[in-house]
Amino acid sequence: MISRGWIAGSLFFGSSVTMGSLLLAAALGRPEPPGKSVDYLRDVQPLLKAHCYQCHGVDQQSGGLRLDLKAAAMKGGAHGRAIVPGSSAQSLLLRRVLGQGGQPRMPLGFAPLAADQIALLRAWIDQGAQWPEGAALKKHWAYIKPVHVKPPKVHNTAWVRNPIDNFVLAKLEKLGLKPSPEAPKTVLIRRVYLDLIGLPPSVKEVDAFLADKSPNAYEKVVDRLLDNPHYGERWARPWLDLARYADTNGYEKDMRRTIWPYRDWVINAFNADMPYDAFTIEQIAGDLLPNATQSQKIATGFHRNTMYNDEGGVDREEQRWLTIVDRVGTTGSVWLGTTLACTQCHNHKYDPFMQKEFYQFFAFFDHCDEPELKVLTPEQEAKRRALQDEMDVLTLSIKQAGADKTRVASMNARLEDLKKQQETLSSTTTLVIQEKTDGQVPSTYMHIKGAYLNKGEKVTADVPAVLNKFPAGKPRNRLGLATWLVDPNNPLTARVEVNRIWETLFGRGIVETSEDFGTQGARPTHPELLDWLATEFVRRHWSRKAIQRLIVTSATYRQSSRVPPALLARDPNNALLARGPRFRMEAEMIRDVALSAAGLLSPKIGGPSVFPLQPDHIWNIPYNDDKWVTSPGEDRYRRSLYTFWRRTSPYPEFLTFDATSREFCTVRRIRTNTPLQALTTLNDPAFFEAARGLARRAMKEGGKDPAAQIAYAFRLCVARPPTRFEQTRLAALYANERKRYGADRKAAQQLTGGPPDQADLAETAAMTVVANVLLNLDETLTKE
Amino acid sequence: MSAEENKQELLKAITRRHFFQQAGYGIGTLALSALLQESSLAPASAAPSDAGNPLGPKKPHFPAKAKNIIFLFMAGAPSQLDLFDPKPKLNQYNGQSIPEEFVQGERFAFIKGTPKLLGSPHTFQKQGKSGIEISHLLPHLATIIDDVALVRSLHTDQFNHAPAQIYMNTGTQLIGRPSMGSWLTYGLGSVNRDLPGFVVLLSGQNNPDGGKSCWSSGFLPTIYQGVEFRSQGDPILFVSNPEGMSVEVRRQSLDALHDLNQAHLGTVGDPEITTRIASYELAYRMQTSVPELIDISKEPAAIHERYGTEPGKASFANNCLLARRLVERGVRFVQLYHRGWDHHGEAQYDDLLTGLPRLCRETDQAAAALVWDLKQRGLLDSTLVVWGGEFGRTPMNEGRDGSKFLGRDHHPHAFSVWMAGGGVKPGTVVGSTDELGYNAAEDPVHVHDLHATILYLMGLDHTRLTYKFQGRNFRLTDVYGNVVHKLIA
Repeated sequence: MISRGWIAGSLFFGSSVTMGSLLLAAALGRPEPPGKSVDYLRDVQPLLKAHCYQCHGVDQQSGGLRLDLKAAAMKGGAHGRAIVPGSSAQSLLLRRVLGQGGQPRMPLGFAPLAADQIALLRAWIDQGAQWPEGAALKKHWAYIKPVHVKPPKVHNTAWVRNPIDNFVLAKLEKLGLKPSPEAPKTVLIRRVYLDLIGLPPSVKEVDAFLADKSPNAYEKVVDRLLDNPHYGERWARPWLDLARYADTNGYEKDMRRTIWPYRDWVINAFNADMPYDAFTIEQIAGDLLPNATQSQKIATGFHRNTMYNDEGGVDREEQRWLTIVDRVGTTGSVWLGTTLACTQCHNHKYDPFMQKEFYQFFAFFDHCDEPELKVLTPEQEAKRRALQDEMDVLTLSIKQAGADKTRVASMNARLEDLKKQQETLSSTTTLVIQEKTDGQVPSTYMHIKGAYLNKGEKVTADVPAVLNKFPAGKPRNRLGLATWLVDPNNPLTARVEVNRIWETLFGRGIVETSEDFGTQGARPTHPELLDWLATEFVRRHWSRKAIQRLIVTSATYRQSSRVPPALLARDPNNALLARGPRFRMEAEMIRDVALSAAGLLSPKIGGPSVFPLQPDHIWNIPYNDDKWVTSPGEDRYRRSLYTFWRRTSPYPEFLTFDATSREFCTVRRIRTNTPLQALTTLNDPAFFEAARGLARRAMKEGGKDPAAQIAYAFRLCVARPPTRFEQTRLAALYANERKRYGADRKAAQQLTGGPPDQADLAETAAMTVVANVLLNLDETLTKE
Repeated sequence: MSAEENKQELLKAITRRHFFQQAGYGIGTLALSALLQESSLAPASAAPSDAGNPLGPKKPHFPAKAKNIIFLFMAGAPSQLDLFDPKPKLNQYNGQSIPEEFVQGERFAFIKGTPKLLGSPHTFQKQGKSGIEISHLLPHLATIIDDVALVRSLHTDQFNHAPAQIYMNTGTQLIGRPSMGSWLTYGLGSVNRDLPGFVVLLSGQNNPDGGKSCWSSGFLPTIYQGVEFRSQGDPILFVSNPEGMSVEVRRQSLDALHDLNQAHLGTVGDPEITTRIASYELAYRMQTSVPELIDISKEPAAIHERYGTEPGKASFANNCLLARRLVERGVRFVQLYHRGWDHHGEAQYDDLLTGLPRLCRETDQAAAALVWDLKQRGLLDSTLVVWGGEFGRTPMNEGRDGSKFLGRDHHPHAFSVWMAGGGVKPGTVVGSTDELGYNAAEDPVHVHDLHATILYLMGLDHTRLTYKFQGRNFRLTDVYGNVVHKLIA
């Protein structure tokens, strides 16, 4: 797991992305060295597609040359024959990519092709430029429905715990590699806690696991975690990135909005293991379900998380249009792993999606109102019904009372009172989508070059032709669209979601570019495994918990993440999975783990967003004097996903640790490793508060002896006990600082904010320094 | 030595000693020498190129004219017609309705109906040897006008603040693309290893309307995002140790942290730990170099006078001086935002007679001093200074709700920016607008062209500075942009 660092240290390990992927390509045995037989479909077409089609393809034929069709390509362009089979020296294609003949080097305006790519083209032409007929029609793998593959046979059957391992091990055995041994129990329990609930195990939980010698001790932990209500919080977090969930509108004034009931809906849906098909349908079209429940309406908040610019000069209709553009792009990214957004302006340059199809997709979303929904708790709902019943009876009685004016007046007064009561039952609202009920069919138009003011041809709702057919008999509205997304014939939906689950657990998807399954995205490292998981997902009724359980109980997942130098050199990014995952935790988890270790974390689930400690002067918004006021009581220490998310100015720690602004859909956060991160976990008052908390907790719960306290604090952070070296090194630091702070009580007072009852000031200060170090250990910040 | 100087000396001593001590721990001699490289005030050319460090200096596509950029972003959109683009005809027709053909099919942010033309209430005068005509509201700019290249024909596609600021910074109104500073640090890295390569300084009414997206790294790794230097609280967030933690305690705790991480590296073998260890050391170096950097109190009195700076105050002037100190230290891209130029004329505070002169007073002196100062230090040749906002303002009076105060609405079709140093042609004007100043007439320069030109001056071909995301090679200039050669010396 290599992230991109700021610094020189990574130099030796090829941390730069390019180097990493080159090594990876080498490790995976591609690209094929020239000399070997070159295959048009496998080697040449992707290259031409990536670098040439843009100007020499379906839309444009610069210099009269077209390279995506065999006949046209063989014919050549205005300057002569591009491809002379058997003679690369005579082929203009090769001469131009080499920049020969005094002409500008191709591809024009982009980086020259790499030497190995040119070698590939040369070899292909020299080998006769074999180009199978109809090759252009071959579908990209991702657009073909996955089939349930039989797990491959392996030699080391003893290692296999479930079919996932067959796929992984088969590949390793083919390459002559061995999987790593199982991770130590302390590592494993911490890993699975972080992965499934996003929190570290307590010392007691670790001890119980160590003491449990039963063969299914680990599986018992997994099942308990999947039932833990914090599971939903942990898995909601990545989904909220996809949903671009935030607590403000974005842009200039960036006013607050209330849509946290949607966030809670996501948490609850995960906790209830809502099948992914229902999860999809409710978010895209919950309001269109028969007798839609309040919860199903709240789910449509998914597409109300779009930005809203309330600058005075904004053209409202354009704003509505842009919002729908965002909904189309986001739906494409989240469910289809497809960059539909590219087709707003033109036909997709690389993938088989047409500009017209963008606006046909757009039409599904073009008939919506965007109201606020009053949200009632079950108790409030019961009360509302009771009030309604009474009102109904009253209304009837008023009719029957006829001429009895006094009675009518009194009943009317009562009716008014009840109405008021009903209206004030709840003050919580949330943003939802509601299909218009005007019975009109909306007029949706293409927009030439994607420009709002440039209307083109009228279109009707439809789905991209390259994917599965729109289900027969389904309405051409959002409900029909959602049904199409989760149709078992859809080649992408299940793959894209299982790939994201894999990515969350392993730090890297089977398709590394989880945001792009198109021809320009990364090829899957384990294509059969991906398809097996995708079909298994559907077969298991779209249960994400089932897939997660399968993965975390596999031998693949349970491997140690220690990496010997030889394996590191062979596979720096762990694409082959010959070891367990090891990578720096995400922004929210880093804070949650620190608070949890300190014993400060509030277990409260759901509710309005909160304001933990943040430095002053972070918010300074035009035309909006909204102020950050730190939440009182336990809300100061809630899990990070409840932190108020202001789009123009998100919580600093999140941004520093690679979260995005949530202004748009983020499929994948790119991990970095920077000094600003170090400054945050060292000095951010919120993190230093955790250090103080951890020190106090260790002194209170860890025994009388400072050595025992240090060991206890250590275990709170990383689950395992310290080694002798670690214990000694920390004890030395502690002794040193105790002496120093003993001589400087003022500093000790400042550092600790005053010791707890009975505790010694200098000892508290020294333990706080130690705790600050522990919370910054690479191991504390890392899932390993 | 003062107490502060003592402290700085102590910090430096500790830093040096520490790095030598680490030599035995296996960071590696190459990395060590890189870490040890004295980077303060280091010239860009002396820096080694190291491929493993994404922020290490990288070679440009061709020899660069400029090495650093200071972009003075005048958020809110200054009125070009009252500052840079004199229009006698507009003055002549003052108060008359604008001819229908100009406004047919046009969308305005606030103007309704047929608006009236508004001549400038301010006078213009030819300045310097170059004789460039600018407004009397900018007396300080007049003193450096012969170093300036003025573009009068800039135009954009957006006419609301947030989208237009994001457009000006990222080349699109769509959120999620990298900003210019991120592209440049991605393309060129930065010479100074103790400081971020892309620094943002804020002053004026508020943060810019586009929020942090204005300096976002978009889909580029977040190491390329702009880092805010704050004028209140910590200059860089969390750069100060907690209260009660002295430099010595921090150093000792980092030593312990280092030893523990190093030991763990030996056990698990993950090179990411090496990177983390180095990150913490860099963080420490940042802690030691930032206080020295932001302390402008020791600048000579003449400098303070020239800029109009007051140490400890939050102001555009202080930020200009800081910007100079940052580029002196090799920071690649420094962007200042000063928000408040939105002179609609709704009331006196935002009209052309009171509001606009106030904003000029807040910025003119320091911006001119910055150019002067860079020049006298020999830094102007290698530093490109850009001054401008996100769009222009209408040649018509806005008169919102019958307001009696003079003001202009948002206008994307023509506006002005000036540039100085970094290889631009000094004392020159590029482009012009029509007689009313409504549309760019000669040599129209689109925002994409401006971006292409800025990259060109930095030695980068805007068509070759690409990053692959979601299957496509993206550029700052998307599929547009032409270098404006008339701007280049």
